Amino acid sequence: MKIMLDISIQEEHPHHIIKIQGEIDASNSVQLDEKIRELAEQGSRSILVDGAQLEYISSAGLGVFMSYLEEFQEKEIQLKIYGLTPKVFEVFRILGLDQLISILPTKEAALQDS
Amino acid sequence: MIKLPSIHIGKLSFLLAILVWLALLFVDMVRLFGLINDLNSGIVPEFTWILEILFFLTVYGFYNYSINKSTRNDFLNVIWRASSTGISASVLFLLVQLFKYVLEGSKLAQDPFLLNFFYHVHFALVTIFLISSAILWKNLILYQKTKRVVKQWQTFEIALLLGMFFIFFNQNTLDYSFLFGLVILGGLGIMLAGNLKWIPYLTFKEKWKSLLFLFLIILSTAYLFLQNSVFSNTQQIYPINLLDNLFLISLFVFIFVYALFSFLVTLFNLPTSSVFEQKLTEAINFQRLSQSIQPDENEEQVLDILIDSCMSAAYADAAWLEMNKNESGNEYVQERWIDAETREELSHLIEQSKSATDWATDQKPENLSPLSLRLFHEKYESVMLIPLVINKSVIGRLILCKEVRDGFNKEMVNIISTFARQASIAVENHRLLNQAIQNERYQEELKIAQRVQKSLLPVKLDHNDAFEICAYSNAADEVGGDYYDTFQLDTDRFVVIIGDVSGKGTSAAFHMSQMKGIFQSLIQLNLDAEQFMIRANAALGKCLERNHFITASIFIIDTAKKTFQHARAGHVPTLMLDHRNGKADYLGVDGLGLGILRNMQYEKHVEQKVFDYQPGDILVLFTDGIVEAKNQKSQQFGFERIRSLVEVHQQLNPREIQTKLIDSLHDYVGGGDGLIDDDYSLVVVKFNENYA
Repeated sequence: MKIMLDISIQEEHPHHIIKIQGEIDASNSVQLDEKIRELAEQGSRSILVDGAQLEYISSAGLGVFMSYLEEFQEKEIQLKIYGLTPKVFEVFRILGLDQLISILPTKEAALQDS
Repeated sequence: MIKLPSIHIGKLSFLLAILVWLALLFVDMVRLFGLINDLNSGIVPEFTWILEILFFLTVYGFYNYSINKSTRNDFLNVIWRASSTGISASVLFLLVQLFKYVLEGSKLAQDPFLLNFFYHVHFALVTIFLISSAILWKNLILYQKTKRVVKQWQTFEIALLLGMFFIFFNQNTLDYSFLFGLVILGGLGIMLAGNLKWIPYLTFKEKWKSLLFLFLIILSTAYLFLQNSVFSNTQQIYPINLLDNLFLISLFVFIFVYALFSFLVTLFNLPTSSVFEQKLTEAINFQRLSQSIQPDENEEQVLDILIDSCMSAAYADAAWLEMNKNESGNEYVQERWIDAETREELSHLIEQSKSATDWATDQKPENLSPLSLRLFHEKYESVMLIPLVINKSVIGRLILCKEVRDGFNKEMVNIISTFARQASIAVENHRLLNQAIQNERYQEELKIAQRVQKSLLPVKLDHNDAFEICAYSNAADEVGGDYYDTFQLDTDRFVVIIGDVSGKGTSAAFHMSQMKGIFQSLIQLNLDAEQFMIRANAALGKCLERNHFITASIFIIDTAKKTFQHARAGHVPTLMLDHRNGKADYLGVDGLGLGILRNMQYEKHVEQKVFDYQPGDILVLFTDGIVEAKNQKSQQFGFERIRSLVEVHQQLNPREIQTKLIDSLHDYVGGGDGLIDDDYSLVVVKFNENYA
């Protein structure tokens, strides 16, 4: 079973939007990690993750977001996730990541919240 | 033919031959005595002939046995035996002549008995020489047995046997019937003499030796034959003619003709023998190359053979082999009759040549064939580049150098490319085999890891009469990251823990074992649930990889108070069935996974709650592998399905509930564990209804 994942980046100054489509598991979480690292190294100040079309995220995928928490806090980079489906949001919530990362319902909410 | 069922058939026939010969001598002596003294000895000539035939047969028996036993396919040895017998016979006969010559004029020299004795000695020598040679020739003729040749030989043997008895028919006179028989036997012998297939297999040196031996055979055959006629001319002295026997004369013809043919064919084979030898060497080299290399051997051995084979096939003056860098980064170069400096010079010249660079950058290496080049080098004027191709990629090349211009012909190119292909296959097989062995070793290691990890999960779960407990765990790979454990704090208080490392496989398994170590240590401290998680987070934060975390749930059950204290660190919520209303619900406790925040801030993100329970209540702890297991439509098993299953089966004991859950999980995904690609675990606790 091939797991489909498509990650694209859009720039909406001063934000960078990572749009995730498909499923993230242990086999492809590296792709997400690479994109986020790229943006952080480019000096992006605000990274928004569009998770509206994220169908599933495994613990390895959560590990990617988790691993940037402290680094982004130090560098004052904002990381926000928006548009998550209830099922995916539940995964974040169970782990408790909703308390550490701003997870917002819509893009507008994400842009306003700062 | 006499077939004696004895094991010492050789010795026996040898003894018999001597006895028969002595009998023959005695009979003839008696007859001679009778003749000289005008007494009729009354011995008919047929008696002598029978003894003569018996002698032939016993000598044949002896040689057939001893030659077949000793010589096999060693042609030179065969010819040597024949020629040595011939020479011995001739020399012995010469000695007899010399003896006669010395005694010339004396009375003894004219003594008919002595002369008759010599005549019999000569007869015996000739017979031995002819019969032994015939049997040796048989080995040579039948070297490459075909049905036709075997039949011909058998015909010849039968004809010879009949020839022995011919003497009864023509009464030992030289008439036309004798000539007729001789023509038939001679013709058969000459036909057989065309079978000379053993000659090409001799090496050049062996051919020279065999020429010498064959010459000696021809010489002794001719000499012995001429001596025969000398005796025949002075026949009247002897009572009976033994030598003018059709059998012996035919054998003379056969031995002589075959020796002559062999001599001539060997002589004319001399100039081309090096070609045959070369082809034979190539065949042997090919065979050596195609023998697969043993796993503990080195592939350089095959390359070694390759260089030698190619050099000898092309008569190359120098050669070297370059292997491209392999995974371990080793470049391997081997030189033959060439120094590094000359090699550099030639490499440089080759790089300058356009056809060589085109060749080296060919897009389809699998179709690459050897390339001959003309170079302007002071010593080597032509080189040939031979690619070594494995799995569509060039792993190296062999360079052959010759001092003459255009030194490589089509035959050389053909045979050399075959050698190179064969060597490549051998090297490839060797590499694949090594890989397979390596993989097998890893598999073995994983099995050990699996066994070790299984032992990290408890076999016996701590509990008392107040509750029953059972647990199950399954890893997606050989090893996994799920963990559960129990601990008895005192008579009434028990700890139940479930944990899950993010990810799966080997790295998860290592973290799982760290988790077990930490949990086991912390449990001993009799901490409350929240403190346990805070300490666990601090300890795990130091040893987890940056993007790994652990989720866990802890229950500290107090069977005396009928309560349990619970904290949840990012783990999937625990299902609790209320026995009174038969409804199940997930316990609402907030808490962040372990290892996510690695500083003291974690304290703010974890809480503990105390719950009361009733006898008959059920706790179902599990890991996300169950919730996230998907069916063929990619839908997750989900929390709701677990809840309703537990509600339906609440009357069952923990073991049965566990079985029901796992069975429906398997049914849901449509098969066994293989379809669930995450580790999953399940712990079921049921508080006994009848516990006071």
